[in-house]
Amino acid sequence: MPVWDVFGKRKPDDEFQWVGGIKAPDVDMALVLARETHFRHKEGVAYAVRRRGDTDAALHVGKYGGDELGGLTDRSYRRQEAYAGVGARQKRVSREFARAGVRIDRSRPPAAGSPRARVPDA
Amino acid sequence: MEPVTYEESSAAFKARIDAGEKIEAGEWMPDEYRQSALKFIEMHANSEVMGALPEGTWIPRAPTLKRKLSLTAKVQDEVGHGQILYRVAEDLGKTREQMFDDLVNGRTKFHNVFHYPAESWGDVAYIGWLIDGAALVNQKALLDASYMPYVRAMRRICPEESLHLRHGEELVLELVSGTKEQRALFQDAVNRWWQPTMHFFGPPSKKKDMLLYWGIKTRTNESLRQEFFSTYVPKLWDLGITVPDDRLAWNEETGEWDWAEPDWDEFWKVVRGDGPMTHIRLAQRKTVWDTHAWVREVFAGMPEAA
Repeated sequence: MPVWDVFGKRKPDDEFQWVGGIKAPDVDMALVLARETHFRHKEGVAYAVRRRGDTDAALHVGKYGGDELGGLTDRSYRRQEAYAGVGARQKRVSREFARAGVRIDRSRPPAAGSPRARVPDA
Repeated sequence: MEPVTYEESSAAFKARIDAGEKIEAGEWMPDEYRQSALKFIEMHANSEVMGALPEGTWIPRAPTLKRKLSLTAKVQDEVGHGQILYRVAEDLGKTREQMFDDLVNGRTKFHNVFHYPAESWGDVAYIGWLIDGAALVNQKALLDASYMPYVRAMRRICPEESLHLRHGEELVLELVSGTKEQRALFQDAVNRWWQPTMHFFGPPSKKKDMLLYWGIKTRTNESLRQEFFSTYVPKLWDLGITVPDDRLAWNEETGEWDWAEPDWDEFWKVVRGDGPMTHIRLAQRKTVWDTHAWVREVFAGMPEAA
């Protein structure tokens, strides 16, 4: 079965970037699979495929744009926006638990950003 | 001078990697590189596909519609990661059909954490936050790997894992700030999952680890485990959740975490394919693989009449 390279644009003015590949019997199925595997979280505003090896051929550009990629119904649970505020909630709950004496006080590394903080060896 | 022998070509290839160059599919590569990369990426793909099963069993039992939607989307993502990674592995010389056949027949491996049962909704919260957290520590380190198609896959996968992390963290916050029973549910999950999580990072890396040598992996097991501790243990303690390791504490002098070695015999038992859920999960996958063979045949085109 042919391999198709998948390309995407994050913003309208971007060039198409190579983002991955899929296998499909024809260009129509390649576009369906490219959309589903690489753009269902609203990762871009345009997508395209090109059969591997056809380096001189034009890209086959998918028909859906930024508004439709990722679905028209509310699928925010597929994206970070559905979880806005979780980090702040974690901090708030931690503060409340510290006040209530629930927090476990054991030796821990200096908080990130402090001068003593250290990243493990890469 | 242009390299001519296999050794010279290999040395030139290694020099490119050491200089930070990336390798594309289809380029010449030493057999050792190809085999190491294939085995590593194939196991990663297997783990994504098998990792969908423990959480997948909770989709019908999710407590609300919102949770059901988000859990379904997460499980879909994990299978999607498998799909992307099998594609990357295929270019290294093994077909997806062969890889899946080897997986469901127990000839290749998948990550140890996915050999365990997900017994409660607390386990779903644990997996979402801390197993995905451990995976993200690993996968972020792979963004700088030497094999470019794998890096491209990681650029796709890491943002999704960050999303899963938020999903898991929200579930955890809900449980720990809920009733006594809800807190106990999460604490019980931590107690059962901590050792498999330590196993997840593997034993300390060997002196000559081929994956590190070829830049397919970029950091040692131990350094990744230490980063996991620094990121998540303080957060667990902030929530009043204990970790079943009495030695676990930050050591000011060494600038590292002290921790108790887990039971490595249990780890090797699971690696050999004898975990609590290994056989059941493989049987599930094998059943679907066999009964859905017709889908693959349709996709590949109808076979010629005999």
